[in-house]
Amino acid sequence: MIREVAWRLFSGEYNDATLELAGGGDRAPSYVVTPLGAKVNRVFVVGVVTDVENVGSEMQPMWRARVADPTGTFHLYAGQYQPEASAVLSKLKPPMFGAITGKSRTYTPDSGTVYTSIRPERIKEVDGALRDYWILEACRSLKKRLEAMAEAQRMDPPTKDALMKLGVREPLADGIVQAVAHYGKADLARYTAMLAEALRYLLPEFREDRSPEAAAAQVEPAPAPEREPEPDDGKETAVLEVITSLDKDGKGAPWDAILTASKAKGIAKEDLEEAINRLLDKGLVYEPVLGRMKRI
Amino acid sequence: MPQERDIVKEELATHVRDITRALGGKLSEQEIEKELSSYLNVYRVSLDTAKRSIVKKHGGNPANLAIGIGKTVRELMPGEQSVNLLVRIVSLNEKDVSVEGGSKHILYGILGDPTATVPFTAWEPLNGPITRGDVLRVQNAYTKEYRGQVQVNFGVRTIVTKEKPDALPEVKPTPGMGQPYVGKPTAFDVVDLREGASNVALTARILSVETREVEVEGTPKSVFSGVLADGTGKSQFSAWKDFSLKEDEVVRIEGAYVKTWRGIPQLSFDERATVTRLASDGLPPASKLGESPRMWVEDLAERGGGVDVTVRGILIDMREGSGLVYRCPECKRVLRKGACRIHGEVKGNADLRVKAVVDDGSGALTAVFNRELTEALLEKTIDACIAQAKEAMSTDVVRDELADILVAQPIEARGNVTSDEYGLMMIVQEAKILKVDVQEEAREMLEGLEGSA
Repeated sequence: MIREVAWRLFSGEYNDATLELAGGGDRAPSYVVTPLGAKVNRVFVVGVVTDVENVGSEMQPMWRARVADPTGTFHLYAGQYQPEASAVLSKLKPPMFGAITGKSRTYTPDSGTVYTSIRPERIKEVDGALRDYWILEACRSLKKRLEAMAEAQRMDPPTKDALMKLGVREPLADGIVQAVAHYGKADLARYTAMLAEALRYLLPEFREDRSPEAAAAQVEPAPAPEREPEPDDGKETAVLEVITSLDKDGKGAPWDAILTASKAKGIAKEDLEEAINRLLDKGLVYEPVLGRMKRI
Repeated sequence: MPQERDIVKEELATHVRDITRALGGKLSEQEIEKELSSYLNVYRVSLDTAKRSIVKKHGGNPANLAIGIGKTVRELMPGEQSVNLLVRIVSLNEKDVSVEGGSKHILYGILGDPTATVPFTAWEPLNGPITRGDVLRVQNAYTKEYRGQVQVNFGVRTIVTKEKPDALPEVKPTPGMGQPYVGKPTAFDVVDLREGASNVALTARILSVETREVEVEGTPKSVFSGVLADGTGKSQFSAWKDFSLKEDEVVRIEGAYVKTWRGIPQLSFDERATVTRLASDGLPPASKLGESPRMWVEDLAERGGGVDVTVRGILIDMREGSGLVYRCPECKRVLRKGACRIHGEVKGNADLRVKAVVDDGSGALTAVFNRELTEALLEKTIDACIAQAKEAMSTDVVRDELADILVAQPIEARGNVTSDEYGLMMIVQEAKILKVDVQEEAREMLEGLEGSA
């Protein structure tokens, strides 16, 4: 069996995927197809491991790790059938830069929502330079799909053959045709903005502008089916400041203190919780231990 | 179509019966015979077309025709719907291809009879195992054209039966003794050369050439082989006739054919070919053409490999058997638990190597780094590694150190890439850990985005 390629793609695109192609036959690989037509069986991700938690039991551990990239968060799960990955995950000390190869997975609870995750095969601690290189690779890859999808949108209907005639290789051409059939017309503007934002992340001249509001304005996270995206009102920045100032011993700011300090700034408890959720999603803060928040 | 002219009456009668059966007895044999004769002799279409047309004309389904047209490989044309062959399997491979809704296991290779050889693909499982050298009677195969060459396909309607080996005289293809080509040669760039292409025309610069003496069927023969290149890539070549090829000259070769060695396409040419010398400035200089072209793994996979290519990717995993290994002194196989698979327990010779998965986002290949390269990457000699392993009482320390240094690193590797059913493999000649100016490329890409917005 030919080894599956390891896709470099952003969590922002991966987590939008709701289509899984089960492999026909015994050992045929399965794929998660993204709205831009990436047919993903294996991924290679370099990002910030923000937290690791045993969401299983002591007897049957199931380790969950969150890995942030400039566009969102990947979720990693490793259980007893991934002993090597589990062993590595259980020993990680977040935050840290991690390089992960793994297999694409989806989980669909009764509500019908599709959650994508990664079942890690290999995890290694790396440095920031490699993370930046990965972002560049993911940008190249995203750009290629954006261009191919733009071509596909000019066809009615797009076909594999027509795309391949334009130089799109077979796996992507096939993925694009499947994606169009499942998702309809992809929002190219949104993914182009995602690409631009990831590129700016690499460039020091844009770094001053990287306040959370600016980031939020550039890449609005995909609207979750059950709730409308809220416009940011500057509360995230305020909460981030609170968390930073309260983290005196380096172990993270205690929840009670954050609540009190936020109240003093006129932020209600519900708004605070929402702001923290958004900060968690963006990978700007994490929860080192239950009840404490820490800036990354 | 000369091959149709000599169809004997007796053979025609079987086709008449075939048409009658396909039409369910709607027409009498006499009527069909008359009609068939008119198609063949008045309209001069091929027997296959004639049969199908008659069945269609009378409301039948041509798929019900059971008897194909017997042909020699040489007579095959593209677009035959139903053809019978008596052939020997010259080469046989298998692979999995992805098709609508999953993957499919197919056989492919080359078929031959005394007249010629032709590539083939079996898209459906055959009813028994076949191997190289088997003589097959093939009924109802169909043909297509691919890159100017006829290809034979076995589909659902095709029946394949094994014949005795003496049903077909064994023909050893002698280099230089092939059938002359018919028609104009097809122009190729080096990067587009694929197994089985014949009557190829190509303009390239000879980068190197040497004479080798080989024995063909007991007689010594000189073969002139080396490396040639155009702007698109490099290829090894073998000339079976002395064209007095000289290093650095630019030549136009017409009437060559393509063979593969471990998946890598190579150009071969013989008496049938013509070589014309061209002005040297028609192609970039040898120093430029000699550079190793940077290639994507997906393109290498599509071609089946490449000569002296450069790949940039991330070393995403190290395979089993990397690090300090011990080899059998007899056969050089790597020992497992102190024993050779063939020679049993032996005292092995130490060696150092890395077998790694290099993935560039378009595909993955296995890259094999030899001892010198591994020593350079480790910045340590094999003796130091042996001492280290002795102290730790395990060779794992060497492997772990290599993994620390290499895994997840972007690397550039140069070498020959071969392929088999497990995928691509590069025997690395040069390798370095890549340092990329991330900002420069990001800035360029961003400007491109904003420019187009």
